[in-house]
Amino acid sequence: MKNFESLFIAYMIVWGIFFGYQVTIARRLSRLREDIERLKAQLETK
Amino acid sequence: MKNSIWQSLVVGALMAVAGYAALFIAPDEKTMHVIQRIFYFHAPAGMVALIAFTIVFIANIAYLINRQPRWDWLAVSGAEVGIAFNSVVLITGPIWAKPAWGVWWAWDARLTSTLVLWLLYISFLLLRDLMADPDRRAVFSAVYGIFLFLDVPLVYFSIRIWRTQHPQPVILGGQNSGLDPTMRKVFWFCWLAMTGVMAILIHQRYKLEQARHEFEELRLRAEQLSAEEPGVSPPAGAIRA
Amino acid sequence: MNAGRAAAIIVAKEVRAEFRARELLNTTLIFAFVVVVIFSFAFDPTTAESRRFGPGLLWIALLFAGSLMLQPSFAREHANDTLDALCLAPVSPFAILLGKIAANFIFLSACEVLLLPVFAVLYNVALLPVLGRLVIVLMLGTFGLTITGTVFSAVAAQARMRELLLPLLLLPVLVPLLLAAVEATAGLFAETPELQWTWLEILIGFDVMFFTASWLLSDFLLQE
Repeated sequence: MKNFESLFIAYMIVWGIFFGYQVTIARRLSRLREDIERLKAQLETK
Repeated sequence: MKNSIWQSLVVGALMAVAGYAALFIAPDEKTMHVIQRIFYFHAPAGMVALIAFTIVFIANIAYLINRQPRWDWLAVSGAEVGIAFNSVVLITGPIWAKPAWGVWWAWDARLTSTLVLWLLYISFLLLRDLMADPDRRAVFSAVYGIFLFLDVPLVYFSIRIWRTQHPQPVILGGQNSGLDPTMRKVFWFCWLAMTGVMAILIHQRYKLEQARHEFEELRLRAEQLSAEEPGVSPPAGAIRA
Repeated sequence: MNAGRAAAIIVAKEVRAEFRARELLNTTLIFAFVVVVIFSFAFDPTTAESRRFGPGLLWIALLFAGSLMLQPSFAREHANDTLDALCLAPVSPFAILLGKIAANFIFLSACEVLLLPVFAVLYNVALLPVLGRLVIVLMLGTFGLTITGTVFSAVAAQARMRELLLPLLLLPVLVPLLLAAVEATAGLFAETPELQWTWLEILIGFDVMFFTASWLLSDFLLQE
């Protein structure tokens, strides 16, 4: 089973890239949505 | 928020299933054994990147035709996701190459073309970063994007001829030569899984861009309202995304 | 006013403007020359190797010089707000673009005419036997460079950091052109010079494709 470490690293990197990208976007999206709700509330009180 | 959690889980699940197939279902390859299994992510990722960039091209054209912002959102989403998949190809390539051929990089046709492709769409994203006005950014990045996509076949073609005229010192074991049927099934399964991941990522990124747009509009309206009422300060904070 | 005449007028205007200042032509030429000399220090040009590196070096010098020279093409208009005036004229945007492309092509070709003999001397290349074919390759390559560079200059002019941005936008896109031009030139500088058709086809294909795209997209490029 030679080179198994390289294979493992490769898979981890691939998995990391996709999952990391997805999580980053999801987090930014939820924060933006909070900001939007905040702004909407502010505008409604005017 | 819950939606995003589900999508993150689906992405993780798709990749896990594909990984399982690649690691355990696919038969062992004769010459390169374990390391060859990178191929099940390496090659499909390249194909999916091209699909993403095709989406960018279509979005660019659509935007120039009807100027609806959602096409611009789709374009930037496709470009970013395409770069992500392209990066996967460029990272897994050397990891595979070193044990298989002894060198990290052999300037072979496919990987070199992928490198140029990566540079092309990084320039696309960089251009957008350097333009502040959303409308102008959308138009000019769309024009640039169209030129990029037209360049892609030229890149592949010219690099392929270049490499056949100057054969490299390292021998390329045919990556696709005679794929055993189980291997082929695993390959296409991984391709399918990655296309699914691509769709989810583009969708998420699109929603993000849409939300930014909404936020900007709300902010502008808030500023206009506070400009009409002197003494009321506009909402603080730039976009944190 | 038809497109041809309009373009011709713009070419004349550009050439006249440049001739009065002459700074662009001079600077571009000197820069290309500097690139050739500097690269020579990096790559030790003995006769055998100069045969191999020569074509690449020539085109790199042209590409670098070109991407720096093409930037002012639209940036100048931006600085003086003359682009609006141009667009108000009853002339199609493509005519304006064509005029600029033609002017840039003339400038770059002028640089090449002056650079080529210097290069031939420094790298001991026999130009005369292949001159006709070399001119074809140079013109096709320069045309592709000029079209792409002028269009991207219009794009980059809209963004920040445009001096750094234009080479970045331009050079990756020009990879097929660079490959084809270098290989075609190398074929001409070889022991038995031959004009390789594959590379010529790529050059022609590049030029036709990008020229057509410029024509179709010119309306969007020149808006303010």
